Amino acid sequence: MATSLSPSATKPTEPPAPSPAAPVRRMSTSRRREARYFYLFISPWIVGFLAFMLGPMIASVYYSLTDWDTFTPPTFVGIDNYVRLFTDDPIFWKALGNTFYYAAISVPLGLVLGLWLAHLLNKQVRARKLFRTLIYLPTLVPLVATAMIFQMVLAPDGPLNGLLGWFGIDGPAWLLDPDWVKPALIVLSAWGAGGATVLLLATMKGIPNEFYEAAEIDGAGSARQFWSITFPQVTPIIFFNLIMGLIGAFQIFSQVYILTSGGPNNASQMVVPLLFNEAFSYYRMGYASAISWVLFVIILLFTLVAFRTSRRWVFYETEMR
Amino acid sequence: MAITTTPAAVTAQTARAPRDEPEGRGRTLRAFKASPATYAVLLIVSAILFVPFVFVVSIALSSDQTVNTNSFTVIPREFEWGNFVRVFTSDLPMGRFVVNSAVIAFFAVIGQVISSSLVGYAFARLRAPGKNAVFLVVLATMMIPAQITMIPQFILFKELGWVNTFLPLIVPNFFSNAFNIFLVRQFVSRMSSEVDEAAMMDGLGFFGIYRRMILPMMFPILVAIGIFTLTATWGDFMGPLIYLNDESKMPLALGVQYIASTGQALQAPPWNFVMVGSLLLTVPMICVYYLGQKYLYEMNLSGGSAGVK
Repeated sequence: MATSLSPSATKPTEPPAPSPAAPVRRMSTSRRREARYFYLFISPWIVGFLAFMLGPMIASVYYSLTDWDTFTPPTFVGIDNYVRLFTDDPIFWKALGNTFYYAAISVPLGLVLGLWLAHLLNKQVRARKLFRTLIYLPTLVPLVATAMIFQMVLAPDGPLNGLLGWFGIDGPAWLLDPDWVKPALIVLSAWGAGGATVLLLATMKGIPNEFYEAAEIDGAGSARQFWSITFPQVTPIIFFNLIMGLIGAFQIFSQVYILTSGGPNNASQMVVPLLFNEAFSYYRMGYASAISWVLFVIILLFTLVAFRTSRRWVFYETEMR
Repeated sequence: MAITTTPAAVTAQTARAPRDEPEGRGRTLRAFKASPATYAVLLIVSAILFVPFVFVVSIALSSDQTVNTNSFTVIPREFEWGNFVRVFTSDLPMGRFVVNSAVIAFFAVIGQVISSSLVGYAFARLRAPGKNAVFLVVLATMMIPAQITMIPQFILFKELGWVNTFLPLIVPNFFSNAFNIFLVRQFVSRMSSEVDEAAMMDGLGFFGIYRRMILPMMFPILVAIGIFTLTATWGDFMGPLIYLNDESKMPLALGVQYIASTGQALQAPPWNFVMVGSLLLTVPMICVYYLGQKYLYEMNLSGGSAGVK
């Protein structure tokens, strides 16, 4: 390394051009050395990107066009997998429908609960830290443990039905009932609403008090202050939680796999558990790859739609300037 | 896998330690006063959220008798503290599971910390043609669902003979992920560059600057990345499910599910042991969060929503 020779070596003057023919702007040796170091430093990412991202993606496109059980060589079948997926696989449609149902309820529910709890905690509450901790605690529990816990909580004679019993409600057998298994998974997702709460609360704390003081002088009540000041200020966080929540909901796996295996009668089958079964239980790698691309397109579409509509309701402070 | 990290990560990113204004002092806005109704709602919600934890402890402390008759109560009636010892001495390999989880998590954390710090430093400090384009690619990879690469990666690791070893769960961490690179880059970008300029004058090379100047200052962000990686690998279920078949290789997250799914036909699963396992999964995460929250709140990257936008 030349650097150790003299301090000036790091910023030398333009050296005599080694190849006068080069028409483009040439970099100084120090700049070139810096660029070399840059690529050296990021080489772990480059290798990882090629080996675990780009390479697999290309392979996945190819697999999705083949019939392959990993034991015999893949046979090319064109778009047959996709055709079958859309025209000849009722389970896939059911799983897709279930996933939409789950996402459509669990994501908004999580946002509303998170926002509501953050709003309550944003008031002058004694023992706020204790409440905040209690509300955040469930999000620290690994999913497997959550699933284990809810297997017991949702049991026909478990605590949830016990609680409902206090109100004279005869609770269903949640995980065993085709009509109630999806709501059960949504209940489980609502348990983790505290993750959004912490974020929203932190943002609410940053809203200048003057906004509220001015609103109060203008005679705005509590509800009006929430909708006119608090809510617009936290829309960027709501938007972020919406995107992450949608992506997470479409990728739900562990809860379904552990709690119901998609049952009863595929009432809780979702896209990723289906994909997993196709790949690792039935070794239909081509078909499973096709499912993964359909999932990707769905997630992409939802993200794009969310971004498109966000202009109408997400409020960024910079727009004021 | 990346998805599991993200919500927690963002929490840390935006959660500037809330300024707890001294209560009851000065003028309080009408809208900010908590009514008895607010307390009632908070108490009820907290209680509902906390009941599952009490129930878990209750089952973990149940006798085998209670397990066989499936007669659990939410409030503990029995206190079989011996269960916490028995899970390690019985023929269930719970101790093995814990060790496996710890080994996988340890190397995954090391891998992420080293690789993210190198790559993030380069993106924050070094100039090179094509850098912005490469960074866009880094960010774009965050959008690819893990399911797309899951099958080809499985084939790759199978070809390498890595199935049923920890390697598929550890090695990818040494190549860093986009989110962590982004975190480090943001953190380092906000540090003054005078230090490295001075170091360069003194003849330190780029690696020397990274190693002696920047790395020590990165400590908070690296702790945060360590916590995210630890949480993600410790609780990871799908990865081990794909790659590990051998009972003795399973980490705790898979092992607990394995125990719960045994003996379904003839006898009830040992629910008390399963719940001890669930506590072993959960309590370390709560401790890590408690100890690490100082660093998580310190990250404060470019002020809240700006990073999200």
